[in-house]
Amino acid sequence: MTTKKATRKLTIARAMAEAIAQEMRIDPRVFVMGEDIGPLGGVFGTTRGLITEFGTERVRDTPISETAFIGAAVGAASDGMRPIVELMFVDFFGVCMDAIYNLMAKNTYFSGGKVRVPMVLMTSTGGGYSDAGQHSQCLYGTFAHLPGMKVVVPSNAYDAKGLMTAAIRDDNPVVYMYHKSLQGMGWLGTEKGATVAVPEESYTVEIGKAAVVRKGNDVSLVSLGAGVHHCLRAAEVLQKEGFSAEVLDLRSLVPLDREAVRASVGRTGRLIVVDEDYHSYGVSGEIIATVVEHNHTCLKAAPKRLAYPDIPIPFARPMEQWALPNADKIVDAFRQMMLNQ
Amino acid sequence: MQIAIVIPVDLWEDDSEGVMTAWLFNSGDEVDEGDLLAEVMVEKAQYEIIAPSAGVLTIVKHEDEVVIKGAIIATLDA
Repeated sequence: MTTKKATRKLTIARAMAEAIAQEMRIDPRVFVMGEDIGPLGGVFGTTRGLITEFGTERVRDTPISETAFIGAAVGAASDGMRPIVELMFVDFFGVCMDAIYNLMAKNTYFSGGKVRVPMVLMTSTGGGYSDAGQHSQCLYGTFAHLPGMKVVVPSNAYDAKGLMTAAIRDDNPVVYMYHKSLQGMGWLGTEKGATVAVPEESYTVEIGKAAVVRKGNDVSLVSLGAGVHHCLRAAEVLQKEGFSAEVLDLRSLVPLDREAVRASVGRTGRLIVVDEDYHSYGVSGEIIATVVEHNHTCLKAAPKRLAYPDIPIPFARPMEQWALPNADKIVDAFRQMMLNQ
Repeated sequence: MQIAIVIPVDLWEDDSEGVMTAWLFNSGDEVDEGDLLAEVMVEKAQYEIIAPSAGVLTIVKHEDEVVIKGAIIATLDA
């Protein structure tokens, strides 16, 4: 049955749940808290089946108070447990941010390394399905900007499982930001490319390593999460026009694999960053700075970024789709780059 | 011997249509009895299709296709 093991696919939702279950089996300190993560299995499927196997003591449905249960997770982690907590929508970080960025992220530093905070804060990001301005944001840059926590963003089920296992085993707090359109939940506009073959055995994907998911020579398309799939579609179009695009999946924002970004742009000489987070003061600017502050002479054209405009996310479908990055916009950006160079 | 994989009539409560949202194996793959083969979405809820026996899978209803209870969505050749 080796063929079977090699070909079984999982959605990101199932890959996350499988990683959590495997770690819960070998480490009694690991437990899960969040809203609707019990019998429902998580609104985005991230904890499906866990309560049946591990019971209500280790899979704890909480009231709608992120302030309380994320604060409780920071305390539990500081006291030797390894909690996984779900902030259902990243958009609601406002009510629990003090626990996250002043306590979770800083307790290790403040204690001179005596207090570890080995917790995973998993949270859904992204839009595209008309859920409006308080349920569709990415906010990658907000978390990556603040020191003291790792930040990972999977684009497919293989990475999702390996990054989750690595995050649970990490002695540092890890913010695990999954994109709703990649989860395999049909009503969220499911991206098929995220459902890939996933080994049944446990494994880790190293946090802080980007991946070249498509090799190319003419331009580096650098992205994360759902944006990786837009880039792959754009690369297909560009190939028909005679250009080969390299696609780099960042996978981790903290630590950021700056070497991989520089190496890719060093090969191609052109850079387009695709980010569903807001345009200004964010990931896209950081990636461009990573290249140009190191070596601007490698660039054959001014770098470009395709990010979310600096506006609240609209509810109306045509308005939201107008604002989101997509493959057509990436292809257009490349054509502009070639015209202007 | 060929076995049809049918959406069980008691998989969800009413007679709503469903959509195949994910196949977790490809046509031509060998599967075991009890393997999770596919997911069907009905009114935002997801239901699991489990392999009734071992065999080589041939998908009939592909991702994004609409299905009803009792529909043959795949076959298994043992």
